[in-house]
Amino acid sequence: MSVILPLLFLFTALSGTAVVLVRDPTRQVFAIAINGLVLTILFDALQAPDVALSELAVGSAAVPLLFLVALMAVRTQAPGEDS
Amino acid sequence: MSAVTSVLPYAVAAWLFGVGLYGIATSRNFIHLVGCLGVCQAATYVLLLGLGYRWGSIAPIFYDHPPGTPAVDPVMQALVLTDIVVGATLTALLLVLTVQAYKRGGSLDPEKLRPMRAGGKSGRDQGSSRVSEGGQQAP
Repeated sequence: MSVILPLLFLFTALSGTAVVLVRDPTRQVFAIAINGLVLTILFDALQAPDVALSELAVGSAAVPLLFLVALMAVRTQAPGEDS
Repeated sequence: MSAVTSVLPYAVAAWLFGVGLYGIATSRNFIHLVGCLGVCQAATYVLLLGLGYRWGSIAPIFYDHPPGTPAVDPVMQALVLTDIVVGATLTALLLVLTVQAYKRGGSLDPEKLRPMRAGGKSGRDQGSSRVSEGGQQAP
């Protein structure tokens, strides 16, 4: 138990860095979802199961879906045209 | 535990915040920028949970433990829960603003963003066309 927590902290730092370094927004959506999953596992290891549940719902499902919707709106809509 | 593991949450939170700020400062795409802001928010989650954590204690649920068992700080967990909800709302709001800025300015690049006033090229064209449409519909 004393090894897995520092390891999860390092994974969190790595996945956050990956979110920033992936410059293409379409691929960044996957990095955000993976970051949410890693944060979920970290919160569970930090004895916060309720926070882990909400992070699982929000961070790895809802927020990437929001990004996909925004990408879709940007792609299908020419600039200057109203909905 | 040892000094390295006790300082690790704060180091990871500082690293995540710095990396997120770097991404925001160097981003050339608004959607990527909102993702980098999410990394900054993840830094606040890690900081708060790292503040409330105690080694070798249980989750603050006393259903199958006697009261008085050492548990991690539940106040910090409530704060992180609030933080996650507010962060998701902020992400949604900023993505909507991004789509609106793309409709107005025609670009997702922050460098090419025009100020939103009548002197802006696309804004003035749209405004005049809207005024003429309104004038035709009015009578």
